[in-house]
Amino acid sequence: MSESFEPKIVAFVCTYCTYAGADLAGTSRLKYAPNVRIVRLPCTGRISPMFILKALQKGADSVLVSGCHPGDCHFAAGNYHARRRWTVFRALLAFTGIPEERIRFSWVSAAEGAKFADLINEITEETKKLGPFTQYQELQKAIETQSSY
Amino acid sequence: MGIQEQYRSEAAELLSSGEVKLVIGFGAGSTADRRRPLFARTPEESEKLVLDQNCIANLTTYLVAGGLLTDGKKVAVFLKPDGIRSLNILIAESQVKAEQVVIFGFAIENNEVTPLEGRSISDFAKLGEKLRTATPPPSVQEEAERLEAMGSSGRFEYWKEQFSKCIKCYACRQACPMCYCRRCIVDVNQPQWVSTSSHTLGNFEWNLVRAFHLAGRCAACGACDRACPVNIPLRLINYRMGKEVKEAFDYFAGESSDQNPVLASFRQDDPETFIL
Amino acid sequence: MTRILPKNKLDDCIAAWQKAGFSVLAPVQRHGMSSFGEVQKASEMALDLILTERTIKDHFFPQTEPLIKYKISKHDIDSETMTPPERKRIFFGVRPCDASGLEIDDPLFGWDYKDDYWFRRRENSVIVSIACSEADDFCMCTSVKLSPDSTRGADVMLRPLSGGNGWQVEAISERGTALCDTVSSLLQEETAQAAPLPRVDGKFDVEKVMEWLADKENFESRFWKDISMRCIGCGSCTFLCPTCHCFDIQDEGDTYQGIRRKNWDSCSFALFTMHTSGHNPRNAQSTRWRQRIMHKFNYYQGKFGVNSCSGCGRCTRQCPVDMGITETLQAITNLPR
Repeated sequence: MSESFEPKIVAFVCTYCTYAGADLAGTSRLKYAPNVRIVRLPCTGRISPMFILKALQKGADSVLVSGCHPGDCHFAAGNYHARRRWTVFRALLAFTGIPEERIRFSWVSAAEGAKFADLINEITEETKKLGPFTQYQELQKAIETQSSY
Repeated sequence: MGIQEQYRSEAAELLSSGEVKLVIGFGAGSTADRRRPLFARTPEESEKLVLDQNCIANLTTYLVAGGLLTDGKKVAVFLKPDGIRSLNILIAESQVKAEQVVIFGFAIENNEVTPLEGRSISDFAKLGEKLRTATPPPSVQEEAERLEAMGSSGRFEYWKEQFSKCIKCYACRQACPMCYCRRCIVDVNQPQWVSTSSHTLGNFEWNLVRAFHLAGRCAACGACDRACPVNIPLRLINYRMGKEVKEAFDYFAGESSDQNPVLASFRQDDPETFIL
Repeated sequence: MTRILPKNKLDDCIAAWQKAGFSVLAPVQRHGMSSFGEVQKASEMALDLILTERTIKDHFFPQTEPLIKYKISKHDIDSETMTPPERKRIFFGVRPCDASGLEIDDPLFGWDYKDDYWFRRRENSVIVSIACSEADDFCMCTSVKLSPDSTRGADVMLRPLSGGNGWQVEAISERGTALCDTVSSLLQEETAQAAPLPRVDGKFDVEKVMEWLADKENFESRFWKDISMRCIGCGSCTFLCPTCHCFDIQDEGDTYQGIRRKNWDSCSFALFTMHTSGHNPRNAQSTRWRQRIMHKFNYYQGKFGVNSCSGCGRCTRQCPVDMGITETLQAITNLPR
């Protein structure tokens, strides 16, 4: 891939852990790739698979979904439910041809600012290697042109 | 007495005694080998019931349609093993009360129809275990494996072609006993998550949402696949989802009527190998 | 002596037409579905099919079509009309029922407002029909006063020769004559018998049906509930129908930009008549099925003097629960009067 490709990464994070972790990364003055756009949600249990689909359609090259470690959920079990959902959704995306590397899942606690920074750097690097995610975007573009028949 | 005659006369008895208000079975169809759903409300109507190797539809769909069971009365229904699986799921999801359904069970093997013992869902507890260990149709398994071996870009091209055929008639949804949502997410327009247009992107959205919502809830009856007027192989996606929940969570949808729905429950030690 | 198009000249025909600037569309079997698609060679055509699963309606009134592109800024709204391309097309091997379907829909799209999207495509298309040589249990053209070799909606009519190696050619319209002229050197003058037409038995008495439907007493008849009980409310019958034409206008996009689209809609859907208030005047499947029948055999007739059915039978052939127009109209025909 060309040097100039800067991937867009959308991160859906829970407000209690990963968002706080990202905040800690900031207040600790840790430097990490600016390619991530963070969307804060109450809990990973609130992250609908539709969010991931829409992000991929609207221009994301990778998606990160992140929340509290098992046992740490503010709502007791939201992340356990999310984990099952991700397992299945991930398999579904893979089966319908979306590379698994495009969608990442992680646990990042409020104390793990460094982990968050490292994770974003790592995903950015790997997405750069993968190149832009064009499959859905091409379908999106096709919508905007007059049907050929 | 053949199974058809036996079930006919039992259905007539149930109707004349008032035990059930309705018998949902099969009747003759528009061609010699087509069977269509038949609703018998009187003993006379039950004479039209047909049961043979062409009775393949999953009639549980009608149990959740149009408030049929809201009056608390009983209904009898002709079910194959996959229909019994669907019924188990519907009971587990509190959509149907077990005591409201009388089952006329039958199995079709090598074009032979054989009766299944029992009339109430609790009589079929053993069947779930048996189905769990049954091998899925080899044709489906092989085709799914062929796709798996393709690599993701090959699979994407495959599904792009398949989904580009979709016309969003929603026959897959309407034929499915598990698609009982009062308002399907595609019919929700604030916000409009799934575009109503049936361009390929919109078709991807719809088909993925459908498949995801049926993950761990599909009884593999094939109703959606048969209903699809443009022949999208929905069976493959359903099979893949069923395989995933079985491998990851040791879950077999519709095994019993008291199992916890797989995506509405969890175990603390669920696998999470893919989580960073 | 009649004009004959020999089968082995079909490739030359396609080449000649393409040279004249036409795209050639014909029945094809692709990705597990039969429909009309563009072809380069005769070998790609699936001319032996009784009927394609999808209709040619798709190519005149697509399932989704962008109408305008818009952008909303602080002070202005910019919009751009998206017009269908002017593209000359030949539809080769259309069955008479499908061709009739187009003509049935013409008055609808040109009634109070001339639908440019439909007519641009209509005016740039030439329909080459092939008379049927086979019919199945679901065909019912004769019941709606058409036939396996009806020329309605066709520009050129081809009748298969009994030997199976070509077609008798008859130009129906001016456009058809012009098209035949482009390939006149490939046509031969011969005496050849056309193959006998398949027998399509009458399935219902459409006059009796129309009379019954016109009687207002029957609108609330219990008949509608009984006949539609097994309808699951999908839209496959409407979407596969060569004459069903209902559509919905949707804006797709975000707050600042988007595309206004015309999408197929179906009277079978509960949402079709749902009001914003939540009230639904057609709140049961039976009322929706009644609408479908009434629209086809009463309202459309009243407005345009023609029934909105060309007898292709797809509604029944493809119905997941073996319903369809045929059964309903048969039942109406047989009702005690």
